[in-house]
Amino acid sequence: MTTDSATSAAADPGWEALARVAAGDVEAFALLVESHQERLLRLCERLLGDAEESRDAAQEVFLKAFCKAGDVRPQGQVYTWLYRIAVNHCLNKLRRRRLVRFLRWDDPAEEAPAFDPPDGAADPAAVLEARRQWQMTRQAIARLPENQRLVLTLVRFEGLSYREVAEVLRITEGAVESRLFRAMRRIEAAQEAQRSGVSMKEARR
Amino acid sequence: MTPGMEHDLMRLLHGELPADEARVLRARVFREPELAETYRRLEQTWHGLSLPPASPIPPGFTGRVMAHVRTQAGSGSLSWSAAPGWVRATAAAALVTGAVLGIGVGRTLPAPRGDTDSGAETSQTFLSATAETSLADSYWSLIEDATAADAETEAQP
Repeated sequence: MTTDSATSAAADPGWEALARVAAGDVEAFALLVESHQERLLRLCERLLGDAEESRDAAQEVFLKAFCKAGDVRPQGQVYTWLYRIAVNHCLNKLRRRRLVRFLRWDDPAEEAPAFDPPDGAADPAAVLEARRQWQMTRQAIARLPENQRLVLTLVRFEGLSYREVAEVLRITEGAVESRLFRAMRRIEAAQEAQRSGVSMKEARR
Repeated sequence: MTPGMEHDLMRLLHGELPADEARVLRARVFREPELAETYRRLEQTWHGLSLPPASPIPPGFTGRVMAHVRTQAGSGSLSWSAAPGWVRATAAAALVTGAVLGIGVGRTLPAPRGDTDSGAETSQTFLSATAETSLADSYWSLIEDATAADAETEAQP
């Protein structure tokens, strides 16, 4: 594992860019931004659920990474390090937001942001179905405990392996697996409840 | 169905099982209806999770980030969030030690006696007042006293 990390660290050109940044070459950081902006923006959007806020968050994450460039030790891939900063940053934002929501007595699952239908979606029924599905997913994920939500988001929507998630969250692969399993159980129950809710509504018509 | 087996099925679904174990389990899923049903259920749950595609990268994002980075690099200012952990820990420890020492010294030193200085008298009055009334009330009464004293001074020719 250590040898793997060392090998992949050596292979990732991002570490070299970070070393140049630490040595005072500020412009070398642009390379890092260009390479990782897409996945960081996407991750922030998945975690925060708001495109506008995610842009600010991703920008702040890059700034934090820039400030930490001198302290970081090359280990694994640069993106797992960036993901770790992003996850912690978004969690802090979410905790602040949750506090505000708690003070306002809001339901977290009601906070589903509006969405635009995909371009060129000709079939209104398909658009409606996609919308229903997204809404359900958001609500189900919002109701998960934080540690399960993170693991699920990173595996399902970011396509990370268990090992990568373990690296990002600094937990064991076993913990990743068990959190994911519990998340799956809850999601399954939510989907089931929703399906029976829908069929009950249909039966009443 | 044991939870261990369900874990294995989930790992199979996520492509996390080693190739040989995956082959064996796939063969079992093919043969055993109960395993097949559980696998199908997990698959349905997993693929039932979908979110809209993420927003595209905003134009000029790299430029904006780099502008902030250059400002940060140019200012060279130290922010607590950017400071290394040991610096923050040392600062916090110093703060706590200072506060503890301050409280300790304040409690052990004897209170000044027979001091005729008006400032000391005011403090004594203030402190004794706080014991009976709230801190805010005492604070406001001190301000009112000071304002009244100022007004008297100004009124004198």
